[in-house]
Amino acid sequence: AVLKKRLVKLVVNFLFYFRTDEAEPIGALLLEHCRITKEEENVFSISFVEEPERKYCFECDSEEQCQEWIEALKRASYEFMRRSLIFYRNEIQKMTGKDPLEQYGISEEARFQLGTHKQ
Amino acid sequence: MKLNERSLAFYATCDSPADNAGFLYKRGERHTAYHRRWFVLKGNMLFYFEERESREPVGVIVLEGCTVELCDSAEEFAFAIRFVGAKSRTYVLAAESQAAMESWVKSLSRASFDYMRLVVRELEKQLEEMRWGLGGGYGGCRQSPGSWKPKPLGLERSPERLPALPAIPLKENGCAVWNNAPGVDQPPDTSGCGGHDSEGNPRPPPLPPRRRASSSEAGSAGAAAAESPSTFCRLHEQYGREVAKLRQGWLERQRGPQ
Repeated sequence: AVLKKRLVKLVVNFLFYFRTDEAEPIGALLLEHCRITKEEENVFSISFVEEPERKYCFECDSEEQCQEWIEALKRASYEFMRRSLIFYRNEIQKMTGKDPLEQYGISEEARFQLGTHKQ
Repeated sequence: MKLNERSLAFYATCDSPADNAGFLYKRGERHTAYHRRWFVLKGNMLFYFEERESREPVGVIVLEGCTVELCDSAEEFAFAIRFVGAKSRTYVLAAESQAAMESWVKSLSRASFDYMRLVVRELEKQLEEMRWGLGGGYGGCRQSPGSWKPKPLGLERSPERLPALPAIPLKENGCAVWNNAPGVDQPPDTSGCGGHDSEGNPRPPPLPPRRRASSSEAGSAGAAAAESPSTFCRLHEQYGREVAKLRQGWLERQRGPQ
């Protein structure tokens, strides 16, 4: 496989990639139900649950950059963020006895319910 | 623009619960006729299918940077998803009842990643403030002392990794300072022995020196991470790396020219 230099941008739960001199992205990866794996030195890969053998590999300039990307990508999915929210909500509720989402009027929103979103 | 469509379709059809689902009428782009479609909202993605039983969505609307508003239309219970920008489109949808319309408008207007992130940060902040207030006594010490890396904690018996609770720094690393500048206040004692919440709560540590984005690549990385420097987790990791580097340097100087 040939390595091509790309400008890569993480925006919400999408990873956009550009040719280095172009303003419009050539492609994007939706980062849900994906797995970020450290490969060899400076390299990480993204693969998706429904096609685990297909790996999108990225080579970084340094090991540090590689780790930064891995950490950022692991937290990039909407589903990860949702789990964080549910977790924090639960922790705060345990500590204070109060639901922190009540003040925002969003306690009943389906997307914030514990136990309904297992993935 | 290429997109990992198979992954999108998988997300749309896998059995993870949807945040909303139902029939809506969608006004066509070129012809203004409405077509009845099966809509599924998951996260910040609004998928639509030709039929409820269709195996793949025919389209998806990414709900970032848009507004959801009621709209004037001959069609009853109509609302619009409006995007800003020259080339952008407005999607006009219509529900089958007042209640359905209200439910959709509510769930769509809170569907963006940005909104979710806002709420998460707010809760993180609250949790952080509570931890500092209690003197570090509660909760975060479920990890082995001395470990720098926050380990995932289980909430339900889910095999999925959940976000790690930041560790309260334990006292055995007596050399930890909160920033590198000399003469700064000593770190608050958060050793978790009988945390007493008092009025004179220790304030959170000052933020680390702002890191310049070394290139647009690294700089854009972590839209999730780089924008919340106050997150304890992030601070903890950053300090950990700096300390590891300093220690490395110190060890090398110790070995020195022999």
